[in-house]
Amino acid sequence: MSVPVSASASEDVTEGASGTGPLADYRAQVRTEGGPDEWYDASHRLRPEQHPITSAVDQLGLPGLLAARGEARRLVEDDGIRYGPGAMDDDADPGRSWVIDPLPVVIGSQEWAGLESALRQRALLLQLLHDDLYGARRLLSDRVLPADVVLGHPGFIRGADGIAHQRLVLTATDLARDADGAWAVLADKTAAPAGAGYAMANRRVTSRVLGPVHRRASLARLRGFFDTMARALGAVAGSDVDTPRVVLLSPGTGAETAFDQGFLATLLGFPLVEGDDLSVRDGRVWIRSTGRSEPVDVVLRRLDAEFCDPLELRADSQLGLPGLVESARRGTVHLANPLGSGVLENPGLTPYLPALSRRLLGEDLALPSATTWWCGEPAELSHVLAHLDTLVVKPISRGAVVAARFGWDLSSAERDDLRREISARPWAWVGQEPIAMSTAPVVTPTGLTPGRFVLRTFGVAHADEHHVMPGGLGRVNTSAASLLVSNASGALAKDVWVLTDEPSGLRGWASRDPATQPALVRLQRRAAVAPRVADNLFWVGRYAERAEGIARLLRVADDLAEDHAQRPDTPGAATMAVMVAAGARLTGLAPQPGMSPSDHIRAMVGTPQQVGTLAHTGHRIVAAAENVRDQLSQDIWHVLSRLARTLATPAPTDVPLRQQLDVVLESLLAVAGVVHESMVRDQTWGFLDGGVRVERAQHTVALLRATLAVERAPITDGQVTESVLEACESILTHRRRTASGEGPAWPIHSATSLLLVDPGNPRSVAFQVARLGKALRLAADDDLVERAEALGASLADLDLVDVCAGDRAELRDVLATVETTLRAISADLTARHFSRKPTQRVLLGDWAGAGRP
Amino acid sequence: MSRQGPDDFTPRSYEVRHRTTYTYDEDVTTCYERGFLRPRETPSQRVVSNDVDISPEPLLVSEHRDHFGNESFYVEVRTPHRVLEVTKTSVVHVAWPLVDLAALDRWTVASAAEEIRRTGDPATVSTHLLPSVLVDVDDAVCAYAATHLTPTRPLGEAVVALTHAIFDDFDYRSGVTNVRTTLQDLLESRQGVCQDFTHLALGCLRAVGLPGRYVSGYLETAPPPGKVKLEGADASHAWASVLTPDGTWVDLDPTNDHLADSRYVVTAWGRDFRDVSPLKGVIFTESTTSSLKVGVDVTRLPEL
Repeated sequence: MSVPVSASASEDVTEGASGTGPLADYRAQVRTEGGPDEWYDASHRLRPEQHPITSAVDQLGLPGLLAARGEARRLVEDDGIRYGPGAMDDDADPGRSWVIDPLPVVIGSQEWAGLESALRQRALLLQLLHDDLYGARRLLSDRVLPADVVLGHPGFIRGADGIAHQRLVLTATDLARDADGAWAVLADKTAAPAGAGYAMANRRVTSRVLGPVHRRASLARLRGFFDTMARALGAVAGSDVDTPRVVLLSPGTGAETAFDQGFLATLLGFPLVEGDDLSVRDGRVWIRSTGRSEPVDVVLRRLDAEFCDPLELRADSQLGLPGLVESARRGTVHLANPLGSGVLENPGLTPYLPALSRRLLGEDLALPSATTWWCGEPAELSHVLAHLDTLVVKPISRGAVVAARFGWDLSSAERDDLRREISARPWAWVGQEPIAMSTAPVVTPTGLTPGRFVLRTFGVAHADEHHVMPGGLGRVNTSAASLLVSNASGALAKDVWVLTDEPSGLRGWASRDPATQPALVRLQRRAAVAPRVADNLFWVGRYAERAEGIARLLRVADDLAEDHAQRPDTPGAATMAVMVAAGARLTGLAPQPGMSPSDHIRAMVGTPQQVGTLAHTGHRIVAAAENVRDQLSQDIWHVLSRLARTLATPAPTDVPLRQQLDVVLESLLAVAGVVHESMVRDQTWGFLDGGVRVERAQHTVALLRATLAVERAPITDGQVTESVLEACESILTHRRRTASGEGPAWPIHSATSLLLVDPGNPRSVAFQVARLGKALRLAADDDLVERAEALGASLADLDLVDVCAGDRAELRDVLATVETTLRAISADLTARHFSRKPTQRVLLGDWAGAGRP
Repeated sequence: MSRQGPDDFTPRSYEVRHRTTYTYDEDVTTCYERGFLRPRETPSQRVVSNDVDISPEPLLVSEHRDHFGNESFYVEVRTPHRVLEVTKTSVVHVAWPLVDLAALDRWTVASAAEEIRRTGDPATVSTHLLPSVLVDVDDAVCAYAATHLTPTRPLGEAVVALTHAIFDDFDYRSGVTNVRTTLQDLLESRQGVCQDFTHLALGCLRAVGLPGRYVSGYLETAPPPGKVKLEGADASHAWASVLTPDGTWVDLDPTNDHLADSRYVVTAWGRDFRDVSPLKGVIFTESTTSSLKVGVDVTRLPEL
């Protein structure tokens, strides 16, 4: 082992449990909990491979551990790592944060090598089992495997029967230690394994929190695994496809593991799509796009099989794609994992795996599972019914009901009910001996506490090899007394460090043998932009710009209110009133009766639940961005989470509003910076920047209409003009020009020149229109480009002295025309490029017509 | 009911024309259909010819043999339309044998179940014994089965008795049941159509350990005495089939109270209606209403 630590130092630590500090406290608790522990061996001595972490724990002490815990939580929030139903749905609960315990679980290189080879064997076995179950079914006809356990499982998809070349590309395995400390399988995840993205997210957070420890430790890196996964998924398309197009099909941002899906898409470089983004034409899957439609070669499926195709599977699914199964059957698209792979998650198969391994591989099964009885066999059924109080009982498929029941936790009445349930459909149940499960430390305010630990490993099949992620997703519950470890029940996540003998970091990078690996990742063509994606990008731009415009306007109004609210009937107060009213026009939020201007301004900042408010607009940026997570730079998330935090609750009334607005504007500028500096200028950029430009132009026009397009007393007019220029970030230019005498003499002319027609001012309407034209060119809509250019030309031709003369009726007309034109362009862009599929309806077969002679 | 006589077992040929017409009040832009547009070959049936005509012209029609061995069609129509018409015209030669009930009586219900479980093909047995979505075998179904399929009853007699019992106990009435009707609903209301009676027969067979499959197809009908048969007056039909210990299947029609004869034309079989729904589709449209018209003609062809 090359754990960078000397033998004597290790001795010191072992003995150094001097009776105080978190380590000693933890050791004392572990002795009473029973079962193996990740840190202490059976004789209560620290395991040497744990030294990188345990020595750090010694140094950190409880205050240091709690600081690390706090830092991990902050990073989780910044990265927007979430888990749970409706996690990103803006109408539902804000979504549970993913909670990461800062201490990783460390696994030594030798132990890992053994586990890895056992997992390889298991993956191969599962592939061969899958091949048989959707092929000749010899295992059933030869009675090696009871037919009921396979055919009675809802994961056996008859519609997928006979589809050729089905590769079990992805596997995941939940493992726990038995009483001797050896790993045993709790469950196989083969349908649409989740969690690899979370594993990487855990690593990113943990490595930042434990920076020095992470850098010193000789541990395997995860990045290479994702490169292998990307290659493996591309290879599923078959050797005749040069540049395979792979998409990640997601049920949407309401899914429990939406973060995992979005992050995985980013790590793999594949577009994240939903059913609406795809369509089947001529027996092939295509990405829907108004520009060019592009065929899809491989679908990384994160949608449950049953929901994938309303034509052949669940008719009520609105998430799938009619024709997908037919496309897979024709071989024009490959699904990873295949539709029927869920049948392998069946715990009823467990008792038969040792025999299957001998028959299919000619080898003994390397990884044991929990001892399992499948109730479809009469003898096993009686065993389970007789030992309900000591067994974990679960249905062979996860349904809507609770997955596992711990017999010893049930009352006798509950046991009777369970007995009846099992007896009614015995083949649908298994009983399992509980696995001891190791304990691992959790950082809590009172010190380290042991919780039960479950490891999820991830594997990818590529060419003739099965690659195992050198690490995994660790989960630990908060009470060693319970054997339930699930995210839904509040388990914490842990990073998993696999130590390596190789020089630090090398392991885990993909091998780069030029003969077999022509490139690190097979070239992925830039995918066509689906309407849903285009729509969300457009609205990320619009909402971000809208929030900025409103924030700037409210900041100006708030400053005016601070200075002039107490002095009615002054030009300053009149200006304030105009600016507050403009805010009301733009947000659609009129003052409540008796509301002071300051309160009205605060009400326009508002809360995320009130439509029209700044807070709501900020919230909408995040929601729109979540829908296109794969399209945006990772850097944007901590900026957005800061923005969301700032706007989550109204600022206390004794704190100046300006502070909050300044933070909001800083965040929005950071968003603009990330977008501007990190996005390639392609179609996606076109839609996003198009949104920014439409919004800024509309906002400026609306603001001008509410302020300068009305004739006022000259003194008020001058102040309103200055305020508008300030709200549009053009006041400095105005002053400089006025001072040097280069701009128009009258403030109104200077303002309309700067804000309406100046092609050089990045805040002017003319500038937005020019940029909109460029954006529309990227979106490949020539007609709209032409219309934007015509609008630009008409602005250039304006004679401002004429337009602003008299009662400004002409200015009003001009602004109204510009607004109408912009609106029409935006509406046509929406209709042509963002349109969803028409409503999907299912026509079930003819029933009533059947009769009798 | 249709009466059965020895003549009904003579081999013959039929032309079966089945036309399904969907009409919408707005354009349907895209339509995907899955259906059984070619009769399957069976020991009692040979397909002489089969034509499928779809309007508007589909972009793609493809055919494969499904998990149950049925001829399954995939149809993709990408031409906007307000009327979709799918017509299948099949010529089949049919020759059903008279079932030797006495031979079946060498087993009892219980011994047959035991024998099948021991010697039958495990996948076939399991597929047709496990409950399916529309054949949920609960206590009520078991109770109904127990009155007719007693363990010691000779198998042939029991099958005939079950067929007769359902015919007797239930009223034929269309419009009261639909594709979601469960056996529990049926046992409550005591009325339904051939699909319902078939599901109940299957539930009873499975309850006592006899594998049962759902058969969809057609039955030649005779016009009322003295009347001329109207075009499109026939209908699709459904009945049950039970696996016997010697590996053959016996088809029973509880809607008409007899076993199948040469008037029965098979389209497809499966576990229940959902596996063999003649035609189902997914459409993309803003149309909120659709109407379905089905016309079936089963015409006996003169012997060549």
